[in-house]
Amino acid sequence: MILNALSITLIFIGALCALLAFWGGISSFFLYQKWRRSSTPEERTSLEDRSYLILLIMVIVLLIRLINWPLFYGTLQSFIHDIEGAMCIFGVTQVRPGLTRFLEFLKPIIFFLIGGWFILHILDRATKTSPLMGRKLLLLSLISIFVLIDSIGDILLMIEIAPGTLVSCCTTVTDISNRPTRTTPESLFGPQYAQSLKIIYFASHLLLVGMVGFVLKFKKLEKTFSWRRGIFAFLFLFAFANGILFVLSQIEVFAPAMMHLPFHHCLYCLWQYVPDSIVMYLLFILGTFSVGWGFTTELFGKIGEASDLLPNYLRKIYWFAFFFLSASLLILIIHWLAD
Amino acid sequence: MASNKRWITLFIIFVIISLASGCKGERKPIEERCDYDGVKIEPLYAVYFTLQDGSEKKFCSIVCAFMSFSELKKKVKEVMVVDEISGKKISDSQAFFVESEVVTVLHNKNRIHAFGNREDAEKHLKRFNGRWNENPFR
Repeated sequence: MILNALSITLIFIGALCALLAFWGGISSFFLYQKWRRSSTPEERTSLEDRSYLILLIMVIVLLIRLINWPLFYGTLQSFIHDIEGAMCIFGVTQVRPGLTRFLEFLKPIIFFLIGGWFILHILDRATKTSPLMGRKLLLLSLISIFVLIDSIGDILLMIEIAPGTLVSCCTTVTDISNRPTRTTPESLFGPQYAQSLKIIYFASHLLLVGMVGFVLKFKKLEKTFSWRRGIFAFLFLFAFANGILFVLSQIEVFAPAMMHLPFHHCLYCLWQYVPDSIVMYLLFILGTFSVGWGFTTELFGKIGEASDLLPNYLRKIYWFAFFFLSASLLILIIHWLAD
Repeated sequence: MASNKRWITLFIIFVIISLASGCKGERKPIEERCDYDGVKIEPLYAVYFTLQDGSEKKFCSIVCAFMSFSELKKKVKEVMVVDEISGKKISDSQAFFVESEVVTVLHNKNRIHAFGNREDAEKHLKRFNGRWNENPFR
């Protein structure tokens, strides 16, 4: 185990979140069941009072888990000097590759779920009758399972990473000629795949920003209409596909250019050598997730009193998406032109 | 209307931040970093390429230099390696290459060593269970 301020914080947060997620998950599930069975307004008011503490504690736990994602990478970054052969986070991930990969996959999912849940929570709090309480409690109990797994995973990883472990770093993995991020686009676009990938990514990102902008300009968003959910679902899928294109084009085209290392394709090295790229990634993630949150809010938030407030909230969410996606694209373009 | 103005102001602030952070991309390259993967170069294990246009590329190890060589082959005019005993730069054609159990650069597990004279290379080869290696840059 490598002990430093960050790893101790991660272990502490992990232990605290695991305990509270376990308690909060079970409590919210039982409350959800009672909420479903309750029929009178008095019963519901009583349940709302009981859920107050659970929601308050779980809101804090979920906020901590939102911060946990960047903290996780910050902690791995702090281990680089203690792992023999590691020159970036990639080397640290090779100490326990299976567990680390699992956590790296889980954390964005949790971030997305928590963000979506928070929007529902805010929407519900703006109403007088709490029409989303049942759904909120059910989703909270589901998210708690993920949080529990993630927290235990964090603790296990921190314990299992031993100082002085000898690993190979990114150069021997991310730069090999038969890497899938190269062979897949190369098989589609030929040897000049990098240029095609760059054009497709820019076109896709601009199209996404344009579509989000179109949704914002659409007057009928204020009223309920049958196509809205379909359009949001399509946008979500498109944003997801754009996310895959983003990662692919970053690895193959933009990261080597931004690092001034034309043959090196490691994104962890990019964060290390070009720290402002982290801002770009953060904006991209928030923008893409906002598109998804628009869809999940439409999916779960359209009930009772909340339906009337929904269009206004959706507008705000898509404003965020437009905003973040445009800003991330702008940083990328400036880098691309400057480098 | 007031809400729209607030968003526009926020957007402009974001644009400024984006521009400022983006312009940081025009940073000067770190002098002593490997031109393949960007790590700090240990001079004893460095490899240098002189390209046709007169520019120079430097690498932290033979592994990184070799990986770049496959991409830059047509542009490379001269390859210089460092003799591990004396620390002097020598041409790759004059060097003796040995692969042994000793790792010079940990992150890419480089085990190929360059020597200026045959006796030094043989000594290393016997001591560290090595074998002769062909010049990777030919």
